Amino acid sequence: MTLQPFSSESYSEDVRPAAWLELLGGFGLAAGQPRGGMPIHATALSRLSSVGVRFGRLAAGPQTIAASPQRADLPLLLVPLDGGAALRTCEEQQILSAGQAVLLPREGDWQITFAREMRILALSVPGDAFLGRKVAPFSLRSPRTFGPDGLAGILTRTLQASADTLDRLPDGEWESLARSLAEWLLSLVTEAAATSADTSASKAALLQRIYRTIEARLTQEDISVADIARSEGISERYLQKVLGEGGDNFSHYVRERRLQRAWHDLANPAEAAVPISDVAYRYGFADSAHFSRLFRERFGMPPREFRRRESEIHAVAPAASGQRGWPQEALAQLRARQGKPGQSKPGQSPSAARRHAGPPVDSPADEPSRHHLAAHAGSVHWGYFSRSLAPVMAIGSGDVVTVETLTQHASDDPERMIAGDAGAESVFHWTATEKSVERRGAGPLDASIYGRGAGEGFGVHICTGPIAVRGAQPGDVLEVRILDIAPRPSQNPAFRGRVFGSSVAAWWGYHYSEFLTEPKPRETVTIYEIVADAEEPYAEAVHAYRWEPQTDPYGVRHQTYDYPGVKVAPGSVTRRIPTLDGIRIPLRLHFGVIAVAPREAELVDSVPPAYFGGNLDNWRLGKDAAVYLPVSVPGALLSIGDPHAAQGDGELSGTAIECSMTGTFRVVLHRKAELAATGMGALLGDLTYPLIETPEEWVLTGFSHPNYLAEFGAHGQSEVYAKSSLDLAMKDAFRKVRRFLMTTKGLTEDEAIALMSAAVDFGITQVVDGNWGVHAIVRKRLFGDGGLDGGR
Amino acid sequence: MTDKPSTTHHLPATPDTVHWGYFSRTLSPVLTIASGESVSIESITHHANDDYERMIAGDAAAEEIFRWTRDAKTMRRRGAGSTEGPFTHGNGEGLGVHLLTGPIAVEGAEPGDIIEVRVLDMWPRPSANPAYAGRFFGSNPSANWGFQYNDLITEPKQREVVTLYELDMTERSVSALYSYLWTPQTDPDGIVHPTIDYPGVRVDHSTVTKQDGVLAGIKVPARLHFGTMGLAPAEADFVSTIPPNYTGGNMDDWRIAKGATMYYPVAVEGGLFSCGDAHATQGDSELSGTAVEISLTGAFQFILHKKADLPGTVLEGLTHPLLETPDLWSVYGFSVPNYLSELGPDPQQAILSRGSLDDAMRDAFRKLRRFLMTVHGLSEDEAISLMSIAADFAVTQVVDANWGVTGSIRRSLFKGRQGAVR
Repeated sequence: MTLQPFSSESYSEDVRPAAWLELLGGFGLAAGQPRGGMPIHATALSRLSSVGVRFGRLAAGPQTIAASPQRADLPLLLVPLDGGAALRTCEEQQILSAGQAVLLPREGDWQITFAREMRILALSVPGDAFLGRKVAPFSLRSPRTFGPDGLAGILTRTLQASADTLDRLPDGEWESLARSLAEWLLSLVTEAAATSADTSASKAALLQRIYRTIEARLTQEDISVADIARSEGISERYLQKVLGEGGDNFSHYVRERRLQRAWHDLANPAEAAVPISDVAYRYGFADSAHFSRLFRERFGMPPREFRRRESEIHAVAPAASGQRGWPQEALAQLRARQGKPGQSKPGQSPSAARRHAGPPVDSPADEPSRHHLAAHAGSVHWGYFSRSLAPVMAIGSGDVVTVETLTQHASDDPERMIAGDAGAESVFHWTATEKSVERRGAGPLDASIYGRGAGEGFGVHICTGPIAVRGAQPGDVLEVRILDIAPRPSQNPAFRGRVFGSSVAAWWGYHYSEFLTEPKPRETVTIYEIVADAEEPYAEAVHAYRWEPQTDPYGVRHQTYDYPGVKVAPGSVTRRIPTLDGIRIPLRLHFGVIAVAPREAELVDSVPPAYFGGNLDNWRLGKDAAVYLPVSVPGALLSIGDPHAAQGDGELSGTAIECSMTGTFRVVLHRKAELAATGMGALLGDLTYPLIETPEEWVLTGFSHPNYLAEFGAHGQSEVYAKSSLDLAMKDAFRKVRRFLMTTKGLTEDEAIALMSAAVDFGITQVVDGNWGVHAIVRKRLFGDGGLDGGR
Repeated sequence: MTDKPSTTHHLPATPDTVHWGYFSRTLSPVLTIASGESVSIESITHHANDDYERMIAGDAAAEEIFRWTRDAKTMRRRGAGSTEGPFTHGNGEGLGVHLLTGPIAVEGAEPGDIIEVRVLDMWPRPSANPAYAGRFFGSNPSANWGFQYNDLITEPKQREVVTLYELDMTERSVSALYSYLWTPQTDPDGIVHPTIDYPGVRVDHSTVTKQDGVLAGIKVPARLHFGTMGLAPAEADFVSTIPPNYTGGNMDDWRIAKGATMYYPVAVEGGLFSCGDAHATQGDSELSGTAVEISLTGAFQFILHKKADLPGTVLEGLTHPLLETPDLWSVYGFSVPNYLSELGPDPQQAILSRGSLDDAMRDAFRKLRRFLMTVHGLSEDEAISLMSIAADFAVTQVVDANWGVTGSIRRSLFKGRQGAVR
């Protein structure tokens, strides 16, 4: 296996820096300690070729990197993916721009400082990667940067493309890519040396040119010193002298290179059908018996045997695959726009319902310990999380708070789910001149991308909050325990006391790309009635309709379900009754979204879940369950929404039964400094992801990209949609369970893996939220009564 | 375990009734039964040699099946690979590892029919070594084909670790006894096995270091099941037992337990049912490459459903294995649904690099949609809405080359439906 995935999620906090340094060391890099008290988060996907070429994409928090002295390797090629990294040498300082290639000496006095997230491509090529071909001893004395043109530019773009498919290339293709990358790097280094004023460097460049000329003529039967000298414009004697300084003589070098090239071709699965004698002839060996003998002397086995072994290695090449969900070029555009100053700040909201805020102020904790937070236009935010939102309430640790939440799908049947409900009417209020909650989504307020509406619907959930928790600081853990959940009954006299929900088979659903029946594609809304007080509580379908283009009060026509909260006009759709006749769905009341504010960006789309919680869409997060969330901004800023009456593992169509509900929560702050004293250290001391606890189980949440905001940087909110995969989410879940069992339960790695295979159940949480989820269920009873911390 | 169900037939595991590492349409049935008859079938785990003393010694049948000396190897072929030397790993090349009992032919079964297999009961095979008499042992190697193998964080990396377990049938739980790091093992023919690359190689316990006290205090609830149950495929003479496929095989789903029913499409005359790979317990994903591998005897009833009788039943249009338990139906999605016909000239090699949950999820979605539409008469829109709010998708295994995702739907949903199927 040549692919080397790395995630800091694999490691417990104490060994995380060491593991990261080891990974950097593979590239010949070293790093100082990360700054700040936040747990480091780092991911990398790198691949090592059979001849030692190592290439990868690395992402981590702010840090400074430098050379870690290595064996005789070519200079390291590094490409920062974001602008602003500072390259310092003893002589100068230079700010690198995004995508600018830089060649770095293997030793020497340089360092690169990433003030923000470090995201780089790195290519490391050992001197002996060229199958025995000589590489002139380059001693690049100081870093060398390249512009976007020429070979460096091509190489950079190739590296970027390669990084995108690195995990999906079969071994054979990766090997040939690695060889090409190595060749290109060698040319780049040669070019850099030839233009250097340093004489030893230019001599090395001459030597490199000689090697290259020989290489080009290996297939000619009669290759001579005289020919090569002539083509380089030097004398034969001087050529031999230069070669001699390289440690070889002409005829031996040529034979060695011919054997190496033949070795390479014989190892190439694409050439498996070429007879060995043809390969020999290709490199000037007319007599194949002679070739076989030389080959065996050189490589220890005859060419036939060698080829057979190589083909076996390739036969078990690994591969990954992935179909991606929900492509959204729009989000890339969004990010581009957000890069421009003065746009997309939540404080610009003309509705002024929500204000830009600093960190919440710690006021004396003498408020009552029970709170009620009603849902109305002033207490919700719609479609995004933000570290800058002013809290609508401040509570203390241990307080109980009842939070009303509204489903953004109430507008699918306004008669049943909005009419007469003051809170819902306040939130959904929208006329030609007034819209009570302007921003819906993390997109630009001026809807300049698609024109769907303010926020562009890049994020859809109505979230109640945020609630500030007094004293919460980054590094703490917030426990949100669900004491009760009650569905919100209709206030329309015609339906009074009854409860309704909606489920939309939407364009972001998993099924959308492959309908069987016409019309294709289509969106279908099904309205359900929720019967919570029956002996076996259930939901059943009331009616269904196909989405028809809807015009919102501002006059924008919504061809698809692309903007939340557009009331479906009566008469604009055709209701199908009955639908799902005779089928009763058992209820699984839960909240899809429970989040603390992420630190990485100002406005974060509410759809993809990640380390901060958010749109977890796990039905196990119901009554009597709790979720532990790592706090990353002061006050934590807790938001709750996306209430669901029932959902299956997978949430296949894109939504659950979306139904307004009121939850009662006990919120407990676990301060980092006090974890040891309260006995929660083992469980929460190293928590970097949402951990769900039910009375019987621990449920660990794996994602395709556990912290996509850090991993993809500025492009995160676009990339996360393009790169979702259950295979990645499964890997993440595996790593988290391993760490949980090792850190929290004190198992060795071998014990953890054995237990996972025998007793941990992995399931599919959702395949529709951009950042797909696989969860792992660890039963508490495995560990005896109550496990370590779970008895409470 | 006093009330083992009485069955029409008993099929002991002997060298004559087992085949190792492959399904084959060319095998003669070891038993032919009529539809409706039941059989108790002994199986012996292919991991028994991980601890010969506990799992083989004294058990005449196991000793004979595993007998392998320089001069004699009872079960020569192990796997669907080459049977012509010289071997890399051994005869059959370990391309398929499970020791299966069978095949059993069902009279009158023809391609296009469905064979229903009801799991009546199952119980463990006690150790016959006087030192351990009456106790039940299983083995769980974290193997080179496991999900963790290339992603280990402690040294030595790329290691294989075998953990031995004991099954307590009174408590119905499984506890670890000891573990050891796999060391290169030399088989009686002189081939060295640096990793677990060939089944049934006896681990020389003088070459390994046992670690006691592993997983101390941890009891895993038992989930007795057969990892591999299935019919012979039609596409090739010898088919590796590792990748599950449309005729079943290595499903590795612990829900196929007592009280469950499996339905398999028949691909060859008689169906040719074989089973083995029994597990004392397993988690969804079978992460390390194996479950707690144990020898079990199972009692099964076989019912043949002729093609013409399928419409109007849950079997209408069934082209893949289907699980029915008292509570739910599960369809099995695979990375490649019928890899033998989809993957070109050498599918048994090609499938080894095709495992993907993303592909398996896609397949499970399609199969469940079809099931809801064909069997339950839902429109496509109804099926999709129901799948989102009430169907559960889970990871079955990520270690059997052809990875699996199950899509499950609860039977109780349909109780009130007019003309509901079953």
